[in-house]
Amino acid sequence: MVNGRNVERRTVLKAAGATAATLGLAATTGCGGDGGASADGTVTIRYAWWGAEDRAQRINKTIALFEKKYPKIKVKTDFQPYLDFWKKFNTQASGGNPPDVFQNAIGFLRKYDAKNVLLDLSEQAKAGNLRMEGFRAGLEKFGEIDGKLLGVPVGSNSMALVIDKPVYTRAGVKPEQGWTWDDFEAGMKKIRDKTGRAGDSGMYGTMYLYDLYLRQNGKAFFTEDGLGFTEADLTDWWTKARKGVEEGIYSDPKKVAQIKPKSALAAELAGSEFTWDNFTVRYTSEGKSEYGLAPIPTTDGKKTGQYLGSLMLSASKRTQHPKEVAQFIDFMVHDPEVAKIMGYDRGVPATQAQFDAYKPTDPVNQAIAAYEQSIVKAGVLEPITPHPNGADICESAFLRIAEEMGLGKRSVDEAVKQFFTESKTALGA
Amino acid sequence: MGTTVTHAPAMEDLPKGKGSEPRHGPVGSPRPAALKRRRRRENLAGYLFMSPWIAGFLLLTAGPMIASLYFAFTDYNLFDAPQWIGLDNFSEMFGDPRWRHSVQVTLWYVAVGTPLKLLAALGVALLLAQSRRGQAFYRAAFYAPSLIGASVSVAIVWKAIFSDDAVVDRTQKIFGIDVGGWTGDPDMIIYSLVALTVWQFGAPMVIFLAGLKQVPRELYEAAEVDGAGKMRRFWNITLPMISPVLFFNVLLETIHSFQIFSSAYIVGGGAGSNACGPADGSMVYTCYLYVQGFENSRMGLASAMAWLLLIAVALVTAVLFWSQKRWVHYEEGAR
Repeated sequence: MVNGRNVERRTVLKAAGATAATLGLAATTGCGGDGGASADGTVTIRYAWWGAEDRAQRINKTIALFEKKYPKIKVKTDFQPYLDFWKKFNTQASGGNPPDVFQNAIGFLRKYDAKNVLLDLSEQAKAGNLRMEGFRAGLEKFGEIDGKLLGVPVGSNSMALVIDKPVYTRAGVKPEQGWTWDDFEAGMKKIRDKTGRAGDSGMYGTMYLYDLYLRQNGKAFFTEDGLGFTEADLTDWWTKARKGVEEGIYSDPKKVAQIKPKSALAAELAGSEFTWDNFTVRYTSEGKSEYGLAPIPTTDGKKTGQYLGSLMLSASKRTQHPKEVAQFIDFMVHDPEVAKIMGYDRGVPATQAQFDAYKPTDPVNQAIAAYEQSIVKAGVLEPITPHPNGADICESAFLRIAEEMGLGKRSVDEAVKQFFTESKTALGA
Repeated sequence: MGTTVTHAPAMEDLPKGKGSEPRHGPVGSPRPAALKRRRRRENLAGYLFMSPWIAGFLLLTAGPMIASLYFAFTDYNLFDAPQWIGLDNFSEMFGDPRWRHSVQVTLWYVAVGTPLKLLAALGVALLLAQSRRGQAFYRAAFYAPSLIGASVSVAIVWKAIFSDDAVVDRTQKIFGIDVGGWTGDPDMIIYSLVALTVWQFGAPMVIFLAGLKQVPRELYEAAEVDGAGKMRRFWNITLPMISPVLFFNVLLETIHSFQIFSSAYIVGGGAGSNACGPADGSMVYTCYLYVQGFENSRMGLASAMAWLLLIAVALVTAVLFWSQKRWVHYEEGAR
């Protein structure tokens, strides 16, 4: 700092340069979403899904296969665990930068349709870029809402009772198709008495199971725009739950909360657990025992209320490459090689071609296949109940409040009231 | 740096002998036009240097704040245009038991965690204020946790320590206390968060240390001559003398405690069925704010909650400032 005047001039220039550089940088980072095609006509689509490392490896393999077959389409992937996935998706979608194609589930279809996020894929199906035939058990209708094709199923699964086989054998409980809730309760007691373990991990918080129970009784969890059951219904369900916890036929909720995110079944806190059949894979890797699948108990000895649930692929309404996205989805649901790579990771493949292509060799996946075939044969499958806008929030509220009730933090009446209050807000919004 | 003021060349141009004249007053200056030009150029340079900060402030702080103030009075789900609903968000909050629960949890956390943390900080500072061997090492060692404290990784480690069948749980079992880990227990998880914040007492400790160094030795010597014991000296000399520092720490840590988020979210996440601990055990205010904003897509409500938190913290700060008259002693004229 010798000559003030010179310093000044230089400073001004430098400062100006720095500012310009900053602005320039901002300008380049500002257009982060790469939607356009590059000079040679290569198109890049973004594909987001939820899951973990194991699924990532499988998905990357299928994408390599896809890019080989469609050299002009590049796929960029992005994945998170389930809850984080939707947070990121919400932020991206509201900012006008959602992924072109993404994993989706029934509980979100109406929600994002109402928010104008989902592309109606029927145009692409008509144009021949996406084949909607060859699906198993009417699954092609699964992502259709109000005449719009909002998602294409990649796999199907169904609710089941996953059991710890040795425990059931030791207790002498043999679940059969058509067994009733009374049989189930007697079985739970037998398991408690003979093995010292709770029979079930606490099914009262599982929305999808309660839905089946309601359907067996001519109701449903959801209607088109609200809840399909009354406060009295839920009071009944949760009162039984409370009693079961006290009697020790359901696991101690405190213990169950303690060991999360591990499942109560794998942690040997319960002899069985109601969940989606493809979760058996997870239990097998988590726990030490041998796991099998048992049918859903019934009210009348016949009706289980079951339907096929499914993961889907949906496209963004804002995508600049609807054709490529459709081709991508088509490849993912129809190509037999994809099924061989994915296995039953996202449920049993939705199309017959993929179902035939993958024949499981390990006992767990074989059991899942057998279970799905058995419910198809038993003829218990029905159409799914609607999932209104806000269903996802209702589901997490149901789980959370049931847990609080189980832990004794709320009385049954309080819990029921709280659930209805929260659901009204969620479904009204 | 010599004795001349090189960084303010304009000073030399000021008319001599008119000391009372304000610097920026052009009146009476021999070359007003040249001076003006130079000053303008100087200002321009200043603004150019500041421009990244100004742009950042407007874009990243002021803009979002104004937007969030607007959203606080709207129903906004991120996707549809915000709808003006007046004070509905605020009335919904007060009627929501889950919101009230989050307020309770937060107040409890602030009321218990902050004093404990300051006690730990002051206690260790008193120990470290005496000269002894390896002092620098101890200071660094105690300060380290608060350096890394805000990070996600520490929260993850914390979760690993306090979860079921982890170190704490196993140690408890040795003593015959089989209640499981803390993070999975709705009544215990908040204690693990308090333990986490107490463990991070390094920052207030350093400030206490600086304060303790400022207490004049003569006071202690005089007190000792008069026969004052250790406790007496602490109560009558140390505490009053460091009360401005204590005030500063209370203020800062209280504000911090109100803003607890990442540790609650991470330690509570995955324990039980929701983002903020089993049965909302670690559902602090910001956690519920996050749930409403990002899980339930209710940005309007979340914004309203954020503004209410701001007001609440401002009120608490005001009360603390008001209370300092009664217990903070500034040296004569130092105020």
